[in-house]
Amino acid sequence: VTQPTVVYLVGLFAVWFAAKAFRGSAARTALLLAASWLFYASLDWRFLPLVVASSVFNHLFGRLLRAQPKVGWLWVGAAANVALLSVFKYLPGMRGLLPGSPFWDGVASLALPLGISFWTFQALSYLFDQYRGDGTKPTLLEYCLYMSFAPTVVSGPICRAEDLVPQFRGAFRGSWQTVWDGAQSAWVGVGMIALGRLLAAGVGGVGVDEAFAMRGPLSTADAWIMLAGYGFQIFFDFAGYSRLVIGVARAFGFALPENFDRPYLSVTPTEFWQRWHMSLSFWIRDYLFMPMAMARREVWWRTASLVFSMIIFGLWHKASWLFLLWGVYQGLLLACHRLWQQWRRDSTPVLPAAVAAGGSWLLTFAAINLSWTLFRADTLSRALALVRAALVPTPGLHVPAGFATLVLVVAAGYFLSQWAVLRRADPEAPGVLAWLPMPARYACYGVIFYLAVFRAAESQAFIYTQF
Amino acid sequence: MMRGGRFLRACAGLLIFAAALEACARVDDFLAYGAPLGGVYNVDTLYERDALGQRGVPHARFRKWGLNALGFRGPEFDPGRPAIVCFGASETFGLHEREGLEYPRQLERELTARAGGAGIQVLNAAYPGQSVRTAALRVPEIAGAVHPVAALIYGVPANYIWLPYLDANPLPPGPLAQPWFEWRVKERVRNVVKGLVPSWLATRLRAREIEADPMASRAMARLPDANIQRFRDDLASLVAAVKRGGSTPVLVTHVSAFGESPRAVDRDLLTSWRKFYPMLEEDGFLDMERRANEAVRSLGRDSDVPVIDLAAVMPAGREYFADFAHLTDAGAALVGKALADGLEAQLPRLLAGRAGRKEGAR
Repeated sequence: VTQPTVVYLVGLFAVWFAAKAFRGSAARTALLLAASWLFYASLDWRFLPLVVASSVFNHLFGRLLRAQPKVGWLWVGAAANVALLSVFKYLPGMRGLLPGSPFWDGVASLALPLGISFWTFQALSYLFDQYRGDGTKPTLLEYCLYMSFAPTVVSGPICRAEDLVPQFRGAFRGSWQTVWDGAQSAWVGVGMIALGRLLAAGVGGVGVDEAFAMRGPLSTADAWIMLAGYGFQIFFDFAGYSRLVIGVARAFGFALPENFDRPYLSVTPTEFWQRWHMSLSFWIRDYLFMPMAMARREVWWRTASLVFSMIIFGLWHKASWLFLLWGVYQGLLLACHRLWQQWRRDSTPVLPAAVAAGGSWLLTFAAINLSWTLFRADTLSRALALVRAALVPTPGLHVPAGFATLVLVVAAGYFLSQWAVLRRADPEAPGVLAWLPMPARYACYGVIFYLAVFRAAESQAFIYTQF
Repeated sequence: MMRGGRFLRACAGLLIFAAALEACARVDDFLAYGAPLGGVYNVDTLYERDALGQRGVPHARFRKWGLNALGFRGPEFDPGRPAIVCFGASETFGLHEREGLEYPRQLERELTARAGGAGIQVLNAAYPGQSVRTAALRVPEIAGAVHPVAALIYGVPANYIWLPYLDANPLPPGPLAQPWFEWRVKERVRNVVKGLVPSWLATRLRAREIEADPMASRAMARLPDANIQRFRDDLASLVAAVKRGGSTPVLVTHVSAFGESPRAVDRDLLTSWRKFYPMLEEDGFLDMERRANEAVRSLGRDSDVPVIDLAAVMPAGREYFADFAHLTDAGAALVGKALADGLEAQLPRLLAGRAGRKEGAR
């Protein structure tokens, strides 16, 4: 909790009351757009003109595609967006190709506009949808708000125009009930973020950050504790952030797409990617994998499309060998799962269903956690050392016992809470902690408050804001 | 009835919420610092009183502040190595620096890194609020225990703003009084709230608090000469006590965040300093620093004691000061370096003197 947090909270309430007072949807959209731009400018004013320019360009191009749905125009529009993303995200990484060149030195010094990967992908999906004949016809004001909507502009979820734009129209959907529902969702998000930061910083000085910075011998136990610790850190950080912004949008009566759905309970890699960073995962599926996969019928082509899509998924995060390899790994994992499914269809199951499901979950959990080596390690050699330590049995425990205990306690707490939620009659019902008896619920509120207010302030920025 | 039930539920919920916060604070302290889960855990657990006044409790620890067997902040004393003792108050003890980065530790590292200072240990005999007078009382005990080759004296003139405080009768020996229970989460809440208040508002609130203090109505524009003289006299007593103990005293001028002329943005720091001493007006602190440092220099000249003029070399600014006079990590590093520069020339003589004393003892 910092001074800006309080300012944003006060601003949020002011905008909510103002939005409620506005009768016309155009005026309300203008108000929300002004608030969104102000929010973006407060985080990084330098790139606000870029967001505005991109919004205007894509809105005009969308109109062109509606009027003349030609594939050539689509390619021009998509290329313009990819070029914009590349200038800021990928070109700086190519400085090493031409060392000493003033041009590349200039490019390398460019800062990454906040949320560019997220709002560029929103723009691309809009152009694809317009080309396909989607009926959403946003006004310029609505489209600008779609692109820079305050809750999503920094780190998603990546929305589709057909889902979000209609919600800008008509009467204000916010009410005291939506504020209460949104606050509950946001509160759980805050707790998750705080838990992620606790994992990062640790309780006795050694957390994920410190553990990954340690140089020296690694045992198998070290590697898996570090990987699970980072896996939970990134999950709590990003899923918590998503829950927070979904809650904020909910308070205003907007329904944003879910971004996470208990991913670590997945029993297959395919299921994991239907539950993890869902808005990007579904974007890749709908606009990249499906069009590619449907171009030819052969199995090899489908597999290649899968691997290629996951490479793009990896490079969406950052242009680096580690993220490229991460994409290859995830693609191969999905391809292997497809082959396994085909083989299973043609064979008789030998294991009882419960054992098979348990084993499948464990393998998926391990495979996904192993992939975090490429996501988190600073260098390829460090990532390989971690993979080697994880897969080649090596005795010992070099990470502090306190850190290992923290990871185990957080993991046990997560799985227990998910088990308890799933036992509810309706796991999807609102009121995330409502299933707990009253004393336990208030104790949980206390723990979340403590973690959010007294612990989270000590730590770093959101992991996904760097992408 | 329904309303009463709801009210009771809300009260119970609030109680459980507060209890959960307190439990978290205690578990946090336990995991981070090994603090006891029950009982009190505060800075006063570091100190006790004996016949001479306040002193550190051997091996006590509170958060980042850990004391050794002698009750000094820092690592254990090694009888096999020559020692330099630092006398001072909270600036020397270290408040805002990370553990191991308070200036006595940084000085030790600086001296160790220089060829002539290898093997020297620096002992931090200061504690917050220690005056030069109480330090002088403690010298024979310290000299007997560690036989330091030198004593760095970083006197704090602000302790001489209100002389009745210095002359108050000492409290009876024993541990400092502690409540039977304290909310550990209270300090955390206070810190968060303090962090949320904009600095201009915090300064306004401090100014109002100062105005409300009865001492402020009789505030002095300038510290009386008698107070500066008392500071100088007590320094002279401490110097004499150190010499009697067989060590070489080294005086150090006091530094603050303001330098010679504070910038407008630093006025709020002056107000926060004054909150501790409402009886002296803000500009009086700057004047006090100048005159007290002049007193340190003149004492050095008159009694042939080396003076390290920190005030002449230390830059002002918030990079080096966490508040009006307490150092940041970077500030403590600069102080450590400046003290090492000042001591470097003296070291061969100091170490030779120690060798001579050891020979004599044999």
